[in-house]
Amino acid sequence: MVMLIPYGQRVTPDDRTVSNRALMRPRPAGRALRITIATLLTAWFALPLVPLLLWFFADRWSAPAVLPTEWGFSGVTSALANGAVPAFGRSLLLGLVVAAIATPLGAMAARALTRGAVPAPRLVSGILLAPLAMPAFVAVMGLTIVLLRARVPGLVGVVILLVAAALPYTVYTMRVAYAAHDLAYEEEARTLGASPWQVLWRVHLPLVAPGLARSAFLAFLVGWSDYVITILVGGGTIVTLPLLVASFASGVGNDAVVAVLSVSAILPPLVLLLVLGRFGRRYPTARFMTGPTASRSPKGSP
Amino acid sequence: MSASLALDSLTKTFDGESSPALNEVSFEVEEGECLAVLGPSGSGKSTVLRSIAGLDAPSSGRIFVDGSDVAGLAPEMRGMAMVFQRPLLFPHLSVLDNVAFAGTVAGQPKRVARADARQFLDLVQLEGFGERPVTALSGGQEQRVALARALAARPRVLLLDEPFSALDPELRADMHTLLRQIRQQLNPTIVMVTHDRDEAAVVADRVALLSDGRLLQHDTVERLYTRPVSISVSRLMGGRIELHGEVRAGMHHSAIGSVASPGGETWAEGPGVLVVRHEAVHISTFEVAVPDGMVGVEVVVTDRRARGPRAEVTLACGDAMMEAEVPASRPLVVGQRATAHIPRSACTVVPTP
Repeated sequence: MVMLIPYGQRVTPDDRTVSNRALMRPRPAGRALRITIATLLTAWFALPLVPLLLWFFADRWSAPAVLPTEWGFSGVTSALANGAVPAFGRSLLLGLVVAAIATPLGAMAARALTRGAVPAPRLVSGILLAPLAMPAFVAVMGLTIVLLRARVPGLVGVVILLVAAALPYTVYTMRVAYAAHDLAYEEEARTLGASPWQVLWRVHLPLVAPGLARSAFLAFLVGWSDYVITILVGGGTIVTLPLLVASFASGVGNDAVVAVLSVSAILPPLVLLLVLGRFGRRYPTARFMTGPTASRSPKGSP
Repeated sequence: MSASLALDSLTKTFDGESSPALNEVSFEVEEGECLAVLGPSGSGKSTVLRSIAGLDAPSSGRIFVDGSDVAGLAPEMRGMAMVFQRPLLFPHLSVLDNVAFAGTVAGQPKRVARADARQFLDLVQLEGFGERPVTALSGGQEQRVALARALAARPRVLLLDEPFSALDPELRADMHTLLRQIRQQLNPTIVMVTHDRDEAAVVADRVALLSDGRLLQHDTVERLYTRPVSISVSRLMGGRIELHGEVRAGMHHSAIGSVASPGGETWAEGPGVLVVRHEAVHISTFEVAVPDGMVGVEVVVTDRRARGPRAEVTLACGDAMMEAEVPASRPLVVGQRATAHIPRSACTVVPTP
């Protein structure tokens, strides 16, 4: 017997379907196992953050002590004094610039590949994915020399190489997005009187927006967290947050500063991830879906 | 808002294909007329529609709207709105904004476009659905919104690409009624692609029958059924009676005897196939005089198949086979002798293939 869901209330799988399907019904033993595994996984992810957060507020934390022996903000003051804020700003800018360039490039490549408009598509997608397979160090060592000979300014070189490093992620993400994208929407819009430009802004981009957001996030991470390319091509003149973290981490007794810098390095991706989770949905959620007219199937039934 | 449309030997060969998808198709659609492009799958009927809409460029041939050639015009400049088999409602817009899409892209202020869209939602009997997301609609409602969205674009020609074939029969009948009302109120010129000859018969004034990219016959629905120009047309329209014979002195001679052509028509002399709709054949089991304008044929029932309220029977007359339909309640059994009455007005002769 199916229980009727009150109008306006969200239907979750548990409400009426799970109990009817043998394969989806949680078994007691399986349930305990799943909770255990979930707990262990959470601990695995969260545990490294605990000492980091403790060091954030510690002035001294000698080896055998379980908790810091002296609390304070010397880590914060030291980080600020060593240019953490400008480094943070540089990293943020670098991440945003890389995302702003790599996302449209990746989207265009993915659309062309998905539509079959590219000759030798396997070769092209292989080349686009190559930066993933090649160790960054190898490629960068050679390219540094090329860029130096070509008199490309360090900052431009860093951006060019980071965009190349981000392309595999944006292309892959957008190929997934375009595989689910239906070109007939754009044709329909054209027959309704929309110019190609209007189709792009009013139909095409809104439909692939969640994919664009995901790929921009990944491209941002490439720029935000890069160390190798920034230090080698930039020649140490562009001091970003990862460079600052690395220079402090290689010294002794800087645990508090490293902790402060690391925590601040987590924040922007975390904020972006939360924004993505909130706004990156495929379609607006339908409030009416649970109503009596909710029976919706792609074809056939009313 | 409506316009006339003419196709002049439209040909389309897709890249890498040897045979054309469309082969010299020509027809005309008058202002306010509804033409059904009918044909089996792969006959090129969707290509006709996509060429008219400007979504596919024809290899050769011309398309005229109100007498002017639309070659080279981008789809958005042609003033055609298309409704596909899938509703293709923009998922990021509300129902109302979907219908207001054409107004919005034409540069109307949002308020004006929405007020206009509301009228078209009323027209398709979806008052008050405007604020809903498109995910909250049923299949039939989605297709109504798609129709309203196309009509709100004030198309010179409304193009329908099998718009109702994904709906169940009851909803499809509702949509046919709705389309009839829309035609009465707005009188748009409509070209509708369908593979369903019943749908074509219900909705259209005239039908263009396509097969393998060729236009077989462009005629009224009734003439397509009763006056097919070839054996393929007869077969595609579901005709089942084919009597091979010869026309001599205006009479067709075959296994069922000689049949004179209906008044005002002449049949070409020489070999020819007499075709007649099985629905037109009356079966009489009593001794009656053959009525005027009918041909009487002595037959034996050789097969009977139940079809719900009707029954199909196969009749043999010598070597020739005929089909007929009777009410399921009629006690006609295999082996029984009967007289088949065929109205002469229902007969036509097509060339022997």
